[in-house]
Amino acid sequence: MNLRESQIMKIHYLTGVCALFVVAVHIIMRLIVPFSTSLTYENVIGNYHNIPYAVLLEIILILIAIHGFNGLRIILLELRQNRIWEKCVSYAIIIASIAVIAYGTRTIIFANGLEL
Amino acid sequence: MATSKRNVNFGNRSVSSDNREGIKAWLNPFGYGWERVSYWLQRLTGLFLLVYFVGHVFETSSIIGGPDVWNSMLQLTQTLMGHLFLILVIGTSTFHSANGIRLIFTHLGKGLGKPGRPDYPYLASSLNYRQKSGIWVALILAALAMLFGVQVLFGKG
Repeated sequence: MNLRESQIMKIHYLTGVCALFVVAVHIIMRLIVPFSTSLTYENVIGNYHNIPYAVLLEIILILIAIHGFNGLRIILLELRQNRIWEKCVSYAIIIASIAVIAYGTRTIIFANGLEL
Repeated sequence: MATSKRNVNFGNRSVSSDNREGIKAWLNPFGYGWERVSYWLQRLTGLFLLVYFVGHVFETSSIIGGPDVWNSMLQLTQTLMGHLFLILVIGTSTFHSANGIRLIFTHLGKGLGKPGRPDYPYLASSLNYRQKSGIWVALILAALAMLFGVQVLFGKG
C-alpha cells in the first residue's frame, strides 16, 4: 500500500497532536505523587498493573514511534532525493519503528505480569 | 541516467550542479531570519527527542530485571547531569510541541496573511508578525516549562 505524502503528513500531524495529550497524562501521573517516590520500583510496577495506564503507555509508544521515525524520514528525504534512497529510508524507518514498538510492548507486557 | 556533478558558485557559496547543498545548508541558520531558526530548531529538537524516546524505552525496560536492576538504572539518571538532561528534554519537547502546532496552522493556511503584489523590498507576506510571534511563544513556553522542571527536580518533595 502506497500512501501519498499528503496522507503521511496528515498522519504525522495527527500522531503529534494525540501524543501531546497522552504524554501530558503520562507526565501528570508522575507528578500526582512526589517525584522522588513516583519512580520507586513498587510505584512503577503498580502503574504497569493498572490496565488503563498500561494501555495508555502502549498508545504513547505507538504514537511517538510513528511520529518520531516519520519525522526522521522527512529529514532524511529533505537531504537527498532519489528512488533508491527514498525506498531504503522508508523501509529502514518502518523496521526501526516496529523494533522499538515491539521492544516497548515487551516491557509493558512483562512488567504487567510481575508480582510485587 | 548518469548525472555529472560539478560545483557552481553563488556569491560566496558553492553549490553542486544538482542544486543540493546537503547537510551544510540544513545546518546553516544565518541569513534566513527567524523562520529559518525555527525550521532548524524543530528538526534538531525532533532528532534529540527521538534519541531520548528510544533511550527511554530501553531505560524503562530495566524494570523487568527486578528492583536491583531498576534501582541501579535509576541511580544513573538521579544525578545532577541526569536532571539537567531531563530539563533539556522538557524544554525541547515543549518547543517542538508549540512550534509544531504553529506549523500545523501554517500548513492549513492559517496566519499566512493575504497574498499581495510583490513590491520592493519584496518581503514575503507569509513571513509576518503572526508567524514570528508564534515562534517567540514557543520559545517562551519552553523556557517556562524548563523553569517548572527545575522546580520539580531540584525543589523539595
